[in-house]
Amino acid sequence: MDILVAILRAVLFVVIAYAVVFIAALANILYERRFMAFIGDRLGPNRTGPQGLLQSIADAFKMMGKEDFRPMLSDPVLFTLAPITVMIGAVAIQLVLPYTGGAMATDLNIGIIFLVAITSFTTLSILMGGWASHNKYSLVGALRAAAQMISYEIPMLLGLLIVAMVVGSLNISAVIAWQTHYRWLIFYLPFTFLSFYIASLAELNRGPFDLPESESELVAGYATEYSGMRFGMFYLNEYAGLTIMSMVTVTLFFGGWMGPWATALHVWGVDWIGILWFLAKTYVLVSVLIWVRFSIPRLQVDQLMAFAWKILIPLGLVNILATAAIILWVPSWKWGLAVFGWVSFFAFVGLFDPILKRRLRKQRERQPVVSA
Amino acid sequence: MGLQVGSNPMSMDAIAALLAERFAGDLEDVRIQEPDTIVARCAREKLLDVAARLKADADAGYETLNWIAGVDRRTSFESIYHLYSWKTNTWFELRVDVPRAEPEVDTVTGVWPAADWHERESWDMVGIVYVGHPDLRRILLKDDFVGHPLRKDYVDLAENHPHV
Amino acid sequence: MYDQFESPEPDEAVKLALRRIEESTARGEGSDVDGLAFNEVVVNMGPQHPSTHGVLRLVVTLDGELVKDVIPVIGYLHRCKEKLAEKRTYFQYIPIVDRTEYLASINCEWAYVMTVEKLAGMQVTRRAEFIRVITGELMRIASHLVAVGTFTADLSPLGTAMVFYMFRDREVILDLMEELTGARMMFNYYRFGGVRYDLPDGWTSKCRDFLKMFPAKIKEYEALVDTNAVFLQRTQGKGVITQQDVVDYGITGPNARASGVDLDLRRSRPYSVYPELDFEVVTAQHGDIFDRYRCRMDEMRESLRIIEQCLDMLPKGPVQLGSLRAPYVITPPPGSAYVGQENPRGEYGTYIESDGSRYPYRLKFRDPCFCNLQLFPKILSGVKIADAVAISGSIDLVLGGIDR
Repeated sequence: MDILVAILRAVLFVVIAYAVVFIAALANILYERRFMAFIGDRLGPNRTGPQGLLQSIADAFKMMGKEDFRPMLSDPVLFTLAPITVMIGAVAIQLVLPYTGGAMATDLNIGIIFLVAITSFTTLSILMGGWASHNKYSLVGALRAAAQMISYEIPMLLGLLIVAMVVGSLNISAVIAWQTHYRWLIFYLPFTFLSFYIASLAELNRGPFDLPESESELVAGYATEYSGMRFGMFYLNEYAGLTIMSMVTVTLFFGGWMGPWATALHVWGVDWIGILWFLAKTYVLVSVLIWVRFSIPRLQVDQLMAFAWKILIPLGLVNILATAAIILWVPSWKWGLAVFGWVSFFAFVGLFDPILKRRLRKQRERQPVVSA
Repeated sequence: MGLQVGSNPMSMDAIAALLAERFAGDLEDVRIQEPDTIVARCAREKLLDVAARLKADADAGYETLNWIAGVDRRTSFESIYHLYSWKTNTWFELRVDVPRAEPEVDTVTGVWPAADWHERESWDMVGIVYVGHPDLRRILLKDDFVGHPLRKDYVDLAENHPHV
Repeated sequence: MYDQFESPEPDEAVKLALRRIEESTARGEGSDVDGLAFNEVVVNMGPQHPSTHGVLRLVVTLDGELVKDVIPVIGYLHRCKEKLAEKRTYFQYIPIVDRTEYLASINCEWAYVMTVEKLAGMQVTRRAEFIRVITGELMRIASHLVAVGTFTADLSPLGTAMVFYMFRDREVILDLMEELTGARMMFNYYRFGGVRYDLPDGWTSKCRDFLKMFPAKIKEYEALVDTNAVFLQRTQGKGVITQQDVVDYGITGPNARASGVDLDLRRSRPYSVYPELDFEVVTAQHGDIFDRYRCRMDEMRESLRIIEQCLDMLPKGPVQLGSLRAPYVITPPPGSAYVGQENPRGEYGTYIESDGSRYPYRLKFRDPCFCNLQLFPKILSGVKIADAVAISGSIDLVLGGIDR
């Protein structure tokens, strides 16, 4: 009997995970288009259905109705497998995230490590897709995407390590419990949050880090040879990733599903108001991700890698050392962490741009003036 | 100091006199077209020499080629070269007569690199062959177009419209 | 079953690219990898492409990510305007001239109308001269807005937002022009000896409102772009046009001025009432993408100054020669004339030969983008593809003028 309940519960959570991924993807596409339009002083899709709400569904139907073909020379197994497996990362992450109190698929003791491990799955699918396309430029695009994603996993991992150090456990429920007991981790670790957030932007191939899929470049991305629903899966995964990454960030830094009256409505072992808080916080972060995309020009591939390896990773390592030192030797280490966190946050935000600009200005002065 | 416009300003008469003197025998019919253009003719055998000397002239070097036009004069063709001199801030229109039976003239891409596409267009539209051009092929019309449209006796051929 | 991989017969441009690869391989510059004769791939950036502005086809020879050679193929928008001129009266041809450089069509009309006036020895009324300058400079601003907007759109999604801001301001200009001429893009407004309509009531005050509103907008755009470190990194030092290139290829306009060449036809070969107006010729020193962008932004400011002066100096009087309408059929005496005019992209001119009849004998356009495009193989070889897209966007091509 217990086994039956356990199996039913597992199936239920998997279904919920898939549902969340697909619904979030469709919702994000529409939300991004409306928000992008708002930034560009326009309206965005507002005709299909009330306020354009059915637009994504229309897009999904369009994509499903396309001819499904596979280029002759492409690898038959991998070509089909790549779009299927691309969503595994997004779905599997949810299995360790608590939507709300009592609604957590599995309470892994190594939840944080599982998060990082499973995000790498998308990299694998993209590589499969690029390789299977039998197209030199798809392969180059996939390799670039993979290089970018693995480079930016390291700052993510460093950030997660700091969270684990502060909380004292790799268990995600422990992280939430810690945040319930003290304060949201963002108050203590703002710089860690910043570097984790930027790294997650790059993981998603979003925002200024979207070189692998830029539309106005000649060299086609990894998904060129895909059309119809196969391409749809890559596309949906990107938008689902927005929500999923924001969910992870909210869980780790913003207190997950906690908030005023979150435990008020406790029915069947689940706090139903917590879900609303979770979604609200997630969508604030999603809005910021979309906002960032339309505010900064695309980074070139060398700038991208330089930013990861020369800036984020060294700063992340210094952050780990400093955090460890503070936890060990500072008497009230939580306040020490907070002070260090906010000072480093403002230092980074305040100094990064002027330093870069100064380097560019020096470079400009050294640039030769055009003469006959 | 860099490229300057009009570093050696001269009056149009002075320039015309200068050119008549330095190019006596090569440039025929040098006249001034108000307000700032000199027009002259040149025989097609002397074109390369005149072009190189015009470009290298110390006082009024015509270093920039503005455009090349091919014109069909019914009995012959004409290739018009419109040049610009930075030093005197004046223009020069060099006209070269090209016989209709043998519409060939030397290319000036060696003198002015800009001539490349202008000569291709002149070949494409009028049919003047520029001998020595690095890559004389159709530029505006499709590659297998038959005929040269800007000729006065051009008739629209059916083979140019296979899909109509 | 349709064979997806049957390639069409390569056309001349692709054959040329392949031939060049063979030649360079024969010269010993082939691949250094075992089993490969050469590294290069010929890729077609076809006539339909989001970042070649217009139906431009670039046959690009790529070595990995470096562009080795570019062969531009044009003619996809060729409408044989020069042949059309031989069968249209001078008056009937004005709308056709509009459609060459369609983003700044009033400037194209201006060059044509000036040439015919010079051929026929006609004067232009003074009020019409000022109206011509006002409309010409307004369209210069509109054209630069499109140029800068689409250029930033090539670089990033930020540009997609910026393009719309710039188009929003361009709408104000187009509304002004629509009120004046009846059309938003192909104006058919200039006539020989003047312009077609006089300024409607209240137009000058609307124009002045625009002049008051616009400088703040330019500052807004500069704030979005100039101070952005990523943008600066992507545009400074790339795509340099040297002054030797300007001389060799006849580059004019902001492309030349960004390389420090002080060539502006409004100063060096003044026409209309420009000698009486006070404005600066904007130049920059480095000749790279960023300088071309800055030249265009500063030129917009100078245009605002010019328009303001013209509005202040606008005299009363007729806007056309003749009593009621401009002459429909004119027969200039036999002769030829060439007048070049400062188009937003460079020197745009028409060379017209008349044989005394109602139709021109030969009409040739000197198009600035045609000359600028010749520079592509030189300026794009050795750069990465992403930079190539940025450089080609900064040169500001309009295919209507290139192909005519």
